[in-house]
Amino acid sequence: MSVKKRQKEKVIKQKFSMQLMWKQRYLLLMSVPFLIWLIIFKYIPLWGWTMAFQDVRPKTLAQPFWQRPFVGVSNFIKAFQDRIFGQVMLNTVGLSILGITVGTIMAILFALMLNEIRFVKFKKITQTISYLPHFVSWVVIASIAKMVLNDGGMLDTALHTKLGLMSTNTPLFWFTVVLINTWKEVGWDAIVYLSAMAGIDSGLYEAAKVDGANRLQRIWHITLPGIKPTVVVLLIMSIGGALNVGMERQMLLSNGIVQDHAMVLSWFSYVRGIGNSNYGLGTAIGMFQSLVGIALLFIANKVAGLLGESRLI
Amino acid sequence: MKSKKICALLLAVTMVAGTLAGCGGGDAPAADTGSTTTTDDGAADDGAAATDDGGSAASGEVIELTFFNADANQDDPWTDPVAEAITAATGVKLKTTRPVGGNDESEAVALMIAEQNYPDIIFAKGSAGNMIDAGAMMDMTDLIEQYGPNIKKLYGDEFEKLKQSADDPSIYQLSAYNVGGTKFKDAGNLQVQWAALKAKDYKIPQSLEELETMIKDYIAEHPTTDEGLDMIGISLSTSDWHWLITLGNPAGFIADGAPDNGQWIVTSDNKGMYKFRSDKEREYFKWLCRMYNEGILDPEFATQTHEDYIAKIASGRVVALFDKDWDYQDGEKVLKADGKYELTYAGLPTCIDENTKCPSLMYQGLTTGTGVGITTSCKDPVAAIKFIDFLCSDEGQVLNKWGIEGVNYFIDDEGHRYRTEEEIKYSQEDADYSKKTGVGFHNYPFPSYGDGILDPTGSTYTTTSKDAVINEYNVEEKAAVEAWGVELIVDMFPQPDEFETPDYSPLWAYAMPLEFSEIVDKLDEVAWSALIKCVTGTEAEFDANYDAMIAELEATGMSEAEEMMTAIIAEKVAIVQ
Repeated sequence: MSVKKRQKEKVIKQKFSMQLMWKQRYLLLMSVPFLIWLIIFKYIPLWGWTMAFQDVRPKTLAQPFWQRPFVGVSNFIKAFQDRIFGQVMLNTVGLSILGITVGTIMAILFALMLNEIRFVKFKKITQTISYLPHFVSWVVIASIAKMVLNDGGMLDTALHTKLGLMSTNTPLFWFTVVLINTWKEVGWDAIVYLSAMAGIDSGLYEAAKVDGANRLQRIWHITLPGIKPTVVVLLIMSIGGALNVGMERQMLLSNGIVQDHAMVLSWFSYVRGIGNSNYGLGTAIGMFQSLVGIALLFIANKVAGLLGESRLI
Repeated sequence: MKSKKICALLLAVTMVAGTLAGCGGGDAPAADTGSTTTTDDGAADDGAAATDDGGSAASGEVIELTFFNADANQDDPWTDPVAEAITAATGVKLKTTRPVGGNDESEAVALMIAEQNYPDIIFAKGSAGNMIDAGAMMDMTDLIEQYGPNIKKLYGDEFEKLKQSADDPSIYQLSAYNVGGTKFKDAGNLQVQWAALKAKDYKIPQSLEELETMIKDYIAEHPTTDEGLDMIGISLSTSDWHWLITLGNPAGFIADGAPDNGQWIVTSDNKGMYKFRSDKEREYFKWLCRMYNEGILDPEFATQTHEDYIAKIASGRVVALFDKDWDYQDGEKVLKADGKYELTYAGLPTCIDENTKCPSLMYQGLTTGTGVGITTSCKDPVAAIKFIDFLCSDEGQVLNKWGIEGVNYFIDDEGHRYRTEEEIKYSQEDADYSKKTGVGFHNYPFPSYGDGILDPTGSTYTTTSKDAVINEYNVEEKAAVEAWGVELIVDMFPQPDEFETPDYSPLWAYAMPLEFSEIVDKLDEVAWSALIKCVTGTEAEFDANYDAMIAELEATGMSEAEEMMTAIIAEKVAIVQ
């Protein structure tokens, strides 16, 4: 650890100068295409956010920007005052927190399990099978899930129960969704942790073995601290995307009963924006979602820094 | 080393140039949009110039008009015999485009509006309102006056209904639905398996109580299907938009005897009422709630997908449905293919009590608000209107619906059209019949006469006639009409002449103002989950649940929407009067 720290200090912060730029001209030139790509596809489209402050309907959609009526923040007010806005926010945040916690914990546990397996062939096969669902579309996953978890589905039939996993209009539905999501993504998410584990110096394990540490102790004192930076970076990133709960998944898994606990921000934006041809309102909701996402990202980053972890930015 | 450097430099330059070129490409359409703002004037000029074109069309010159058809589910290459005959008569060839990926036209139309790139003729269906709002539809009033005698003749008394509103009496679109006509078959208010009806000696239940006994008695006698599956009394499909069809609509038909006006009931003084406010419907849902608690209504109805629902119907397990034939026929087809006709469904005119009349056969008037129209960027509006006019003429109607004389149909000694047995069989058994022969292929969504209307020769415009329907009856249906002593099943329904045709078109088809649909979408959102909650709750809680729903609807703007609806109806009625 101390060796690493010393190395870090050695990297002197070079001052920005023309001379430095000339020296790194090829590197800079090589990054130009990506910069251009970024500007064209990520920054220029931000111009569309101006729609959030205008009344954009089919009538005015084709008009040039300056001819559309400006309405200030009334689109935002309309969104915040919506009948279901509070519930939608609650669902989005609830689902996110639940999803991030359960998803991360399960992925780490799964990666640890795989990491401890010494029978390489079995390990490989398990890993491949576990990340395959990641590539299957939600449409397919949702119909499988409904077949198993719906009222009178396979689970209910096998256990002779009435669990009502998909038909209880309470936050229980979030758990059901998170459960299905974890099943789909756990193998894929574990790949990153597995590779982080592979990067841990095997000398540490040997030394620990000599010192008489058992398996669990080795996991606790070597593997977990070893992947901690990776976990933190991934957490910060997922917190940034906390409000971007996929609409597709929610739409496919919901039904008339659990509507109240299935609607999330992106879906809400679709229903009110595209569904009602009120593009300004839809943009406002989308913009709100992005801005909150950025704020969350910075907060998470700051908190990570305060806790003495490596920060992302 | 040096060559490598040059290589890298070149690569970088090319990439930059490439992206810049990309930018340039992006600018081009923008410039285009600028120029299209003047299209309005341009189109007018075109129109003037086209008059000459129209004249020359008959002399063999063929104009290709582009046509967007929101409801087309396959391509139309315009090569079949009927298409060729239409082109020979009008000098117009249609190049049809359709929405890609499913049947949702809204994205395609939104894109057209954003790009200001319209076809010549369009059937925009649900997005028609957006097209009109965007100023993309041409007012056809003058064109029809000048070139459309057959269009006027086809719509007859109902021509005025095509006008947009009292304030804007333009005709932006015709109607995609039949004008007048008789319904020779209908799925009624609800459907019961023929076997259950037979068990009661074909006595049609006159109230929900009688229906209930019929279902219970049948299940008591036949607890399982031949395959050993438990019978289900009633099933519904409510996990997506189908709730409107199986949960929402039947409430209006059965409880209020109200015709299909979407989520609305129109009172006798032409006031709009959001239908779940009705006390009769509350009574209906209370009955459904009891059925649910007694296990007659499928305990899984609320969470099952539409596919589950269809699969249950296909297995012959469901005794009664509250649906429409187009929705459940996929399940019924399986039963028919297995020859289990007794498990297919009889559409019945049963209502909540004897005093309510089943509105199935009522002629609600011409369905307007969605149909074919000409856009402002049409390159030759005169040719377009002449083309549509030809399709409305007797010749065009017969060509579209019957096909070509001597090939698809023949004329008997009395001058009536008839089809040969082989032709009928061909049309029923070959799924591609329509595409290959062109018969019925170019008909919808262009204007069309309803079933049973006679042309000057005394033959019906459509091939669906009373005799044809009777001929197609299966064993069960034949046995039923015999037992009832009638010709047609629908003879058992309240007849069309018992109803008065309202002055407004069915409300569901109108393109509504956005402020209105914004509220109604929210009302439907509330009603959807609240109604399911009412039905799946206990009977004791029902009244509290229903009151809570009404209160929530009230808070969401139900009264406001009702006032708007009343104003809209008044406007539509004003046009006709």
